[in-house]
Amino acid sequence: MLKIENLHASVGDKEILRGINLEVKAGEVHAIMGPNGSGKSTLASVLAGNEKFTVTAGEVIFMGENLLDVPIEERALKGLFLGFQYPVEIPGVSMANFMKIALAEQRKYKGLEPLTASEFLKLMREKSAVVELDGKLTSRAVNEGFSGGEKKKNEIFQMAMLEPKLAILDETDSGLDIDALRVVATGVTRLKRPDNATVVITHYQRLLDYIVPDYVHVLYKGRIIYSGDKSLALKLEKEGYDWLINEYKE
Amino acid sequence: MTIEELILSGVVREFKGAVVDSSTDTSLPLVLLNPKSRTIEVAPSVSVRLIVACTQSSQGGVELFLAENSSVEMVNLYLADSYVNVTVHQSLGSQCKTMTALLSSTNVTYNYLLEGEYCSNAFDGLFMAMGSDHATLNLTTRHLKANCNSNSTVKGVSAGRATGEFHGLVYVAPDAQHTDAQQQNRNIEFDDSHIVALPQLEIYADDVRCSHGSTVGYSDEQAIFYMRQRGLTESYARRLQIEGFVGEVVNRCNMEEICCFVRDIVSQKMSEI
Repeated sequence: MLKIENLHASVGDKEILRGINLEVKAGEVHAIMGPNGSGKSTLASVLAGNEKFTVTAGEVIFMGENLLDVPIEERALKGLFLGFQYPVEIPGVSMANFMKIALAEQRKYKGLEPLTASEFLKLMREKSAVVELDGKLTSRAVNEGFSGGEKKKNEIFQMAMLEPKLAILDETDSGLDIDALRVVATGVTRLKRPDNATVVITHYQRLLDYIVPDYVHVLYKGRIIYSGDKSLALKLEKEGYDWLINEYKE
Repeated sequence: MTIEELILSGVVREFKGAVVDSSTDTSLPLVLLNPKSRTIEVAPSVSVRLIVACTQSSQGGVELFLAENSSVEMVNLYLADSYVNVTVHQSLGSQCKTMTALLSSTNVTYNYLLEGEYCSNAFDGLFMAMGSDHATLNLTTRHLKANCNSNSTVKGVSAGRATGEFHGLVYVAPDAQHTDAQQQNRNIEFDDSHIVALPQLEIYADDVRCSHGSTVGYSDEQAIFYMRQRGLTESYARRLQIEGFVGEVVNRCNMEEICCFVRDIVSQKMSEI
């Protein structure tokens, strides 16, 4: 589904990603961990096409196509979803209207007619239940006045609505209390299917109690320095990153 | 749809008189079309919806006298380059609500004179300056007596090589104790356009609550990225962002047909960005 080879990216003249290699297959859940400033969020942003970053080398193949030449919205329409670490507020644009437009764009891309108003409302009710999102929030402006937890739930709600092939969740757990964390993580697990994949970027093993990863990768200074199964996350939680970083230096 | 067509279709009614009182049919909004120099009195306790529309390039003026406890809800639209003065005198307990949209190279001056106690005044304004437009909105709210409140929100959008100006003044006279006055101004600039904002407060009473604020910013690129990540094209995302921004003003208009009408013109305007 996703194949990243030797990906280098910079912001200004500062190189942040320094040769990432990663393959994600359908049905898999990958967790990317690593200390602050190691490039986790940059990786997510570069995959989504954020123009703040410049790709200087390497290749990303998504669904058999070179992703890096594709505009941001087309990546989304091809089935790539980014759950934002800091979801953005859009004053004056209601959540329901925003989702209606996004869904219509996606259906247009697939050659489908937009949903009727009643089909859309039904879908919205169904999907907001997945993350226990208060129905009232969908009539409010996108993320405006949402609490931290609501914003993150809202990201997963959008993911549920858009049914992406590959979801990259950038620190979806940060700023969540334990109940919201459980709700968000359960939502993600319920959306898992054999034909989609999830990349979870996280600081803490806690999230991985709920979202069980097939692979755990450690990102350090713009490279994946170690990969393992879910037991790696437990070890990192207990022992920190130092032993890995020392090993990497030697 | 044009204002003239709205009149023909009986959604609104053109008004040629000088007095609105209990004998005036106020079931439909009354339209003042391209007013040159109109003076209108609203009788005590009468409620009326007024539409002031400048559809032809013109110089004009409207002066309204709101008698005790009367109430006016006004929509003022500037669709052609014009130079217009609107003055509103408010007596005891009167209410005035204004929604205005400057959608052309227009210079409009609003003067609200709160001459009686317990008046309330709400103002929502929008100016859009595109291409080589120069749109200026002057707003003065004068609190002359005690116990009145005013609340103004003005939003500006500029694009191309246009210039937008907002001059706002809240004046509170020495006698106007217990005034509650708020004035907010938010602007977004695109391209090489620019917006000049001059909000001012002049307060001569000491027991009042007044606040004002003004910002000039650019399009929020993070929000554009966010919307594109959900599959919207860049131009769609930009349009939605401005629609949301100006929507706060446009949606304050309570006259359904007029509100739709304004939204359509705003959408057209936005396609120029």
